[in-house]
Amino acid sequence: MTPDAKRRRAIGQILLLAAGLVVLTFISAGSVHLVNRAREDARWVLHTVEVENQLSLAQLQLHRAESAQRGYLSTLLPDFHTDFEEAASALTPALQRLSQLVSDTPAEKRLVDEMLPLVNQRIEEFRNTIELALTQRVDDATRAVREGIGRDAMKHIDDLASQMRTEEDRLFVERTTNADRTQSLAASMTWVGSGFVVVLAGISILLVRRSARARDDAEALLRDNNLNLEATIDERTADLREANDEIQRFAYIVSHDLRSPLVNIMGFTSELEQLHADIFKRIATFARASASPAPVVAAETEPVLEAEDKQLAQDFSEALEFIKSSIAKMDRLISAILNLTREGRREFEPVRIDTRELIEGIVTTVAHQAAEAHAQIRVEPLPHIVSDRLALEQIFSNLIDNALKYLEPGVPGDISIRGRTKLGFAIFEVADNGRGIDPKDHRRIFDLFRRAGAQDKPGQGIGLAHVRALVRRLGGTMSVSSELHSGSTFTITLPIKWTGSNGKRAS
Amino acid sequence: MSQPVTIIMIEDDEGHARLIERNIRRSGVNNEIVPFSNGTAAVNYLFGSDGTGLDQKGRALLILLDLNLPDMSGIDILRWVKENRYLKTAPVVVLTTTDDSQEIKRCYELGCNVYMTKPVNYDRFANAIRQLGLFFSVIQVPAAAT
Repeated sequence: MTPDAKRRRAIGQILLLAAGLVVLTFISAGSVHLVNRAREDARWVLHTVEVENQLSLAQLQLHRAESAQRGYLSTLLPDFHTDFEEAASALTPALQRLSQLVSDTPAEKRLVDEMLPLVNQRIEEFRNTIELALTQRVDDATRAVREGIGRDAMKHIDDLASQMRTEEDRLFVERTTNADRTQSLAASMTWVGSGFVVVLAGISILLVRRSARARDDAEALLRDNNLNLEATIDERTADLREANDEIQRFAYIVSHDLRSPLVNIMGFTSELEQLHADIFKRIATFARASASPAPVVAAETEPVLEAEDKQLAQDFSEALEFIKSSIAKMDRLISAILNLTREGRREFEPVRIDTRELIEGIVTTVAHQAAEAHAQIRVEPLPHIVSDRLALEQIFSNLIDNALKYLEPGVPGDISIRGRTKLGFAIFEVADNGRGIDPKDHRRIFDLFRRAGAQDKPGQGIGLAHVRALVRRLGGTMSVSSELHSGSTFTITLPIKWTGSNGKRAS
Repeated sequence: MSQPVTIIMIEDDEGHARLIERNIRRSGVNNEIVPFSNGTAAVNYLFGSDGTGLDQKGRALLILLDLNLPDMSGIDILRWVKENRYLKTAPVVVLTTTDDSQEIKRCYELGCNVYMTKPVNYDRFANAIRQLGLFFSVIQVPAAAT
């Protein structure tokens, strides 16, 4: 999968979550709003009922006042009078309350306003008749009643009330419908919102599953890649091993083939030496023969030469000596290469090694040199490793020998061998306070036949090249850090558990 | 036993051949030396045209053999000689620059009589050749006596 697609997918998921959140918020807000509206609607429905109730109450009081008046007029019982007064006094607040309640509907307000003087007029009429009765003019009063004074007003009032009731009924229907609509709206909104959330959740699950699958695929791919990488590494290692073997064979053959002409050079140089002896013996004989006829006494005796011939003989010998010393040196170098290649062909055997014990063994063998050089060698605790014993011995004895060999003159030597482990590797350090190595020579010293610094010690320039070759065969690396006159530290990193697989060769 | 020993020298390097010859002569050995500078010619001589070695029946031979030959390995020649019923009695002296212990072991296993590493040091070389010469002269004594 491309990184772009990955980013798109991540953004898609975030967007999805955000959308879910927005929908939820929207639903919540909508629900709160609709619930509020439903409550409001319910309140209005209640209000209608209240108005009707109040209207009925007012009418009831009016009728109660009327019946009390009638009762009083017919019986003249004071109870009826009290009743009337109660009803009349209750009527005004009831009407006021009604007027308040309908203040929101101008049409009804108008009806109430219209109703109010009529009602007052009716109450006044009732009161008048009661006054008449009180003042002993019952007949006038009853007559007034009988004449039906105020019947029209009463009818008008009932009309108005029924009008109001009709209006309120209309409002009731309207408000109930409103409330129903609001509720169904809230319900449907909740449904739609829930549906949305469910859909979003579904998409989320789908995406999560898809990304999980993508991750599994990526993991599988990574595993495959790792396997491929291992295969590639194995291939390269095999190539390297082959190349290394090639070099080994090459070095072996070259050193052999170089030796062949060297045998001739050495052999014929010896022949020349022989000839040289014979020639100058003859020259001496001839010289003597020409000087004095006395015969040669013995061939074994050293020929006595004249000054000129003696010079020739010396030059001859000198040339031969140079040739011979050069041959000897060449022979040593070729032998060294042969030994190196032979070392390279040796099968290494991984065994468990107590490194400290091994190095203390080496230190014991160089104790004499160390005492002569006034040097002390400190071996610190070292990790145990699995490696080739002989190779390890050669590595450390070379390094310790070098440390003893190249001490700073006049400074007591101090050589320490330290070790630690890190990530499956053992790191050994052989540090000295010797003459040190110029940083520009740090690479050179590991090359075959190359040496650095003052050439005042015997050596072929093989030791470190050999050590590095061994370290590499043991699957490790080595490096040096040093400054002139301030000692050197050689660091060797070896695998703690060398299996031999990276050093084995089919020879 | 009346036949003098013939020295078969199989050596591709002319210089080595000359040095060996000179040192053999210097040691006082005067036997005939038949030199071969490659393996094929030597094998043809030793085993004859039919490859059986019948031609060499009854002849006293001493073989000086170099292992590094241009056309074949001296090891093969050594094996063939030691497997041949007429030649297997002939002493074989392997003379080579290789001092590899594996190779030395192999040569002795195949039946070589003496294995010598060609020494660059002249004294050792001459000494070795002389000793070889002594060995030859001992063999030559009865031949010379007749």
